[in-house]
Amino acid sequence: MIPLLRLVNVKKRYVTGSAGEILPVRDVSVDIKRGERIGLLGKSGSGKTTFLNLVGGVDTPSSGMIYFNGRDLGELSSPELAEYRRSEVGFVFQSFNLFPTLTVGENIMLPLDLLGIHDENRARAMLEAVGLDGQWDKFPEQLSGGEQQRVAIARALVKSPSLILADEPTGNLDLETSNQVLRIIDEVCRDRDATLIMATHSLESLWLADRIFRLQGGSLIEQPRSGSREIVP
Amino acid sequence: MPWLRRLPVLLGLNLRYYRSHKLLSILCILGIALGVGIVVAVELINSSAFSSLSASVDFLSGRATHSVVSGFGRIDEKHFPAIWTHPQVEAAAPVIEVMATAVETGDEPIRFVGIDPLLDGEFRGFSTVREDSGDFVPFLTERPPRMLLSADVMKQHGLRVGDTLTVSAAGVEKKVRIHGTIPAGDGLGDHLAVLDIAAAQELFGRYGELDRIDLIVRGNVEELARTLPLGLGLTDRGERKATLQAMLYSFQLNLTAMSLLALFVGVFLIYNFSMFSVLSRREDMSLLITLGSDRRELVGAFLAESLALGIVGSILGISFGWLVGWLSIERVSSSISELYFHLRVQELHLTASIALRGLTVGLAATLVGTALPALEVAVTPPVLGMKRRTIEDRAHGLKWILLLSAAACFLGSLAAWWASRYSVFWGFASAFGVTAAFALATPSALSPFSHYLGAWLKRWMGSLEGFLAARTIRASLSRTSIAVAALAVALSMTIGVDGMIHSFRESVRRWLDGALLGDLYISPSTTRWAHPLPNELIEMVYRHPDVEAVERYSTHEALLKGKPVKMRVVDGKVLKHHSTFHFLAGGRDAWDNLVAGGIFVSESLRFRLGIDVGDKATLKTPEGDRAFPVVALTRDYSTDQGALHIDRAVYERIWNDRSVQSVALFLKPGASTADIHRSIVHAFPGLDRTVVSNTKMKEDIFVIFDKTFAPTATLKGVSLLVALLGVATALTAILIERSREMTVLGYLGVTRREMAKINVYQGLIMGAAAFLISCACGTILTYVIVHAINYRSFGWSIDVSLDPWVFLKTAVLTTLACLASCVYPTYRLSRGRPLHLEEE
Ligand SMILES: Nc1ncnc2c1ncn2[C@@H]1O[C@H](COP(=O)(O)OP(=O)(O)OP(=O)(O)O)[C@@H](O)[C@H]1O
Ligand SMILES: [Mg+2]
Repeated sequence: MIPLLRLVNVKKRYVTGSAGEILPVRDVSVDIKRGERIGLLGKSGSGKTTFLNLVGGVDTPSSGMIYFNGRDLGELSSPELAEYRRSEVGFVFQSFNLFPTLTVGENIMLPLDLLGIHDENRARAMLEAVGLDGQWDKFPEQLSGGEQQRVAIARALVKSPSLILADEPTGNLDLETSNQVLRIIDEVCRDRDATLIMATHSLESLWLADRIFRLQGGSLIEQPRSGSREIVP
Repeated sequence: MPWLRRLPVLLGLNLRYYRSHKLLSILCILGIALGVGIVVAVELINSSAFSSLSASVDFLSGRATHSVVSGFGRIDEKHFPAIWTHPQVEAAAPVIEVMATAVETGDEPIRFVGIDPLLDGEFRGFSTVREDSGDFVPFLTERPPRMLLSADVMKQHGLRVGDTLTVSAAGVEKKVRIHGTIPAGDGLGDHLAVLDIAAAQELFGRYGELDRIDLIVRGNVEELARTLPLGLGLTDRGERKATLQAMLYSFQLNLTAMSLLALFVGVFLIYNFSMFSVLSRREDMSLLITLGSDRRELVGAFLAESLALGIVGSILGISFGWLVGWLSIERVSSSISELYFHLRVQELHLTASIALRGLTVGLAATLVGTALPALEVAVTPPVLGMKRRTIEDRAHGLKWILLLSAAACFLGSLAAWWASRYSVFWGFASAFGVTAAFALATPSALSPFSHYLGAWLKRWMGSLEGFLAARTIRASLSRTSIAVAALAVALSMTIGVDGMIHSFRESVRRWLDGALLGDLYISPSTTRWAHPLPNELIEMVYRHPDVEAVERYSTHEALLKGKPVKMRVVDGKVLKHHSTFHFLAGGRDAWDNLVAGGIFVSESLRFRLGIDVGDKATLKTPEGDRAFPVVALTRDYSTDQGALHIDRAVYERIWNDRSVQSVALFLKPGASTADIHRSIVHAFPGLDRTVVSNTKMKEDIFVIFDKTFAPTATLKGVSLLVALLGVATALTAILIERSREMTVLGYLGVTRREMAKINVYQGLIMGAAAFLISCACGTILTYVIVHAINYRSFGWSIDVSLDPWVFLKTAVLTTLACLASCVYPTYRLSRGRPLHLEEE
């Protein structure tokens, strides 16, 4: 069976005026199977976000190949990449990035609308799944940070993407709220059999990961699972 | 003051800000420049028109201290010797001044001045300008007659001394030989021809008539005035200038009002830009306060930078105004020439005072536009993280205040409408009030409008882009509503003015349909210069077997209550059966009363001079002052000086003048207009273009009317341009503010194309909102302009008629314009940086 994601010798180089050349991703090759949950560790500036952007089709590698379901992302045109993000990928950000101009319901409906699926019941069910039923008509800023992140998760998952990319989803939240959010991510990923790649700074959140990687000096190093699975909070 | 010392530091920060927002800064400066430019252009045109007419009066008067003029336009030359030899008079010279065209020089009129070469030397230098330094004899007696022609005409048409010019007057062409050149002197002597007075009288069929007698008065002026022959009066050049200038008053006032409108629209743009610059730097400012800056410094720095923008914009505007003035002076001169009196504005004088006024209005507009943003700076909270959303909430909270102010403006506008009976300024105030009311109500209207439109676009049109665009507009209400309001103001003015023009044209059409029922008109384009038609022609058309009736028409200058008015001499007996005049009062037996010695007055005349049906109007006649009963009130849109109708029989008897300037022919049933046309042209070949059908006659008149509005169109265009800069500013500002959301959309799989579409939708939705508002506001404005401004400026009433075409045209214009103002922001969006979210 082909892996959902296969990275072959992926390299990303940034050329900046002042700092010269930066290589946040130097030579990464990895296979990720459907349904796997990946934890991604790394110091600040180590290239976690860059990695997620490459995998999410937001950025293109300087060299190397990224296959999604056997399809080379490098072959896709910019509208095709957008289509890929639209149908296959769900993003969750550290700072939520909900649209302040849209209500909670409209925020969740947006990915479905983009796919031409105008199914409000599905969106309402998704909101219920993150435990926020009744908040449909509110605006994001009327919610707490944890609630906003749950809405963001609902927005990422409502279209049942095969790949969820979460970039420090709990970075802006306190411990208790973080756990709540992580449990929800865990649940909905499991329900929908979604593949998750989650960048994080906090070791406490690694309990939901099947495999753990560390980005260091541009390379991806697999970490042994040292029983952290058992530290379920 | 220590905070002043820190000002340069802050200004340095600000400068960096402007450098990183080049486009917005440029748009704002352009907005100021356009507004100021148009004000300066109108000032320039108005003042140059005045100095031209003044210089031209001075030039043509020469050393004359006074002139004898007639209360009815012409002086019988038999009065000349008595005035010449009057003990109070040191020198006197008869003058006849006629505008006419020549075949060789095309449509542009030449001013023919007939002088007495022997007497004129005391007044003007013409008689000494001769190339063959011989005597006066050839100038006086030779055939064809000789004239001196100004250098500009000679040069323009490649004419030389010795050539002949074919002068056409009343369709009759006569030859004149060029005897010498009048040198170009500061453009004053441009388009001028000087010839012997007897030759001029013959050339233009003005036998025995003078237009004025120039005098150098040595003694007692009152004594002289008292002893002048009946019907004649004394005037000095100051008075003449004032009379001419007064004729232009309403025309110029309207231009000024239109120019202020452009500036008003510019204020919105300035406001929008400064508000954006304050809000987008709010964080920095909060930070500066946290770091120990004083609020006063921030406000000071902000005002200093606004002032700098204002100064740059104003200076650009002054140059721009000079350019616009220069480009449009020709059009304005020709409008004035068609409507009032012949005027050639040669050059624009950009005086220090006009430049200073441009700078003042520019800075004033900047201050008004930045007042609220400056206040915003003054209340900057020292805490970080005040979100745009909170500001928007405040904008939403302001809605009620704005609505109340809108209601107040509306009521004020109604009051001003009522007060416009006392001064036309209140009419302008009323128009301003209505516009302000709608502008203030815009945020309240825009919010639900974009909400429901967005929902509708998504649900029924399946347009997610439209939905997102509508939501963004609603979320940035503090910015979008200003842009929409500015656009709505400009569009309302367009609709209002176009609506007025349409109503005016419709009223003119109805008026002409009632007044002009002739089948054929012999009406030379020179009618407005009062050239009489040849007698033989009149006799011929009377004798023509196919002609049922002939109406002879002429128009003269008359003085009523000391003011110049048009006196129209008509055949009352003929028009009684051959016209359907629309009388506003005294309609019953109007024609019989006219024939019996009464006169009709036009609305404008009643308005200016307060003479109404039932009153008596005292006119100057060769028999002295005579009072005529006013028997009817007519509509007359051809002159805002005021016009009166008098019966030809009455006129000929009292004024002893049988000249006819144009003729209407009413044909017998079945007669062919083409045959009659042919037989007239056969006898008078020069009349070919002059004998016109009813339709053509009306068309020709409409061409002149349309010229009135030509300058208005330019001004309207500039206001619209300023408003569109406003829309572009708003779109760009939204783009900058919402770039993060755009990036997130990219993560969700929205393509750049779709993002560009969202942007275009934003422009279109704003345009649609502005258009809908302006439909309501513009319609009301049409009424205000017609009733409270036009009637109060020109004295004529107009029936408002709304033209769907005006609205359609505006809709198309708005759409195109909004698309145009989307172009740059959309381009920027589609060429933007690659997608990247920098985490906070
Ligand atoms: N668009 C870009 N242009 C130039 N350099 C970039 C760009 N994006 C990222 N970088 C650089 O690449 C490196 C990796 O950045 P990245 O954001 O991937 O790190 P990160 O691991 O996500 O860090 P953090 O934990 O702080 O979020 C950094 O040095 C960053 O400065
Ligand atoms: Mg990161």
